[in-house]
Amino acid sequence: MKNKKIVFFPAFKRVVPADFENWLEHMAAEGWHIERVRQWSSIIMIFKKGKSKKYRFVYDLQAVPGKDYIPTYEQFGWECLGRMASVYIWRMEYSGERPEAFTDNESIVGRDKRTIAAVSVSFSLFLLGALAATITAVFFSGSLSAGDRNQLIALAVFLIILAILLGTVMIYIYKKGKQQKE
Amino acid sequence: MNEEKAVKKYIPMTETMFFILLSLQQEHHGYGIMQYVRQLTNNRIILGAGTIYNSLSRLESDGLIKALSDDDRRKTYITTELGKKILQAEAKRIAELYKNVKSLLKEPR
Repeated sequence: MKNKKIVFFPAFKRVVPADFENWLEHMAAEGWHIERVRQWSSIIMIFKKGKSKKYRFVYDLQAVPGKDYIPTYEQFGWECLGRMASVYIWRMEYSGERPEAFTDNESIVGRDKRTIAAVSVSFSLFLLGALAATITAVFFSGSLSAGDRNQLIALAVFLIILAILLGTVMIYIYKKGKQQKE
Repeated sequence: MNEEKAVKKYIPMTETMFFILLSLQQEHHGYGIMQYVRQLTNNRIILGAGTIYNSLSRLESDGLIKALSDDDRRKTYITTELGKKILQAEAKRIAELYKNVKSLLKEPR
């Protein structure tokens, strides 16, 4: 029987924070556990088989957390599994009522807004990159070889696809947040 | 932040913000705030770590509360003069609401 499970792009498959949390909780219930979250955990996550546990996970994006950020969570009994990019992943074992780190609508909406803002930075960069590649390919085509021009066009198309993807992600998080609010 | 801007931003206040600001009339750290609010509301409101951390950060950056001790493990806070004024303004608003709905709360004879 396998005692390791590798999941690729877990954070990209579940872009809404609540969906990511629920998925980790479901994995833990099936006995699949992560011990640490690292920078590359959004790309690859390795789970180890163990006993089924009832854990509540929290996804919290904090670009510049204050020095009391971690102690505040720890005082409430949360265990920090680490961070991937600016996202902290917290865990708490529970029985009975499911613990919550965000207990009012305003802070849940705030958490989703911070996630959308972070995605929008990459979205803008991809869009600017696509624009720059297109302008260069169109207006400076005389000074470029056919091969260079084709590469620039391919780059622009690739960046536009990524921008569209991220744009869709932002809309999805926004809509899901709105549904949760209702 | 000046008083006018703070009034616009915070009034009417969310229940969470109100209870956090109310609890910080005395010095408290994050977990202490949760315990205080829980007791005050008879377990109706149990604030979470994320909610408390974000609310405290926001209140501190807007000047409604200030940090007293700042050791690595426990940062404690208390309301500033601006925070007290905003809390009083919100209390007045709630009192006015109460005055207007008081008759609804009377038990029918």
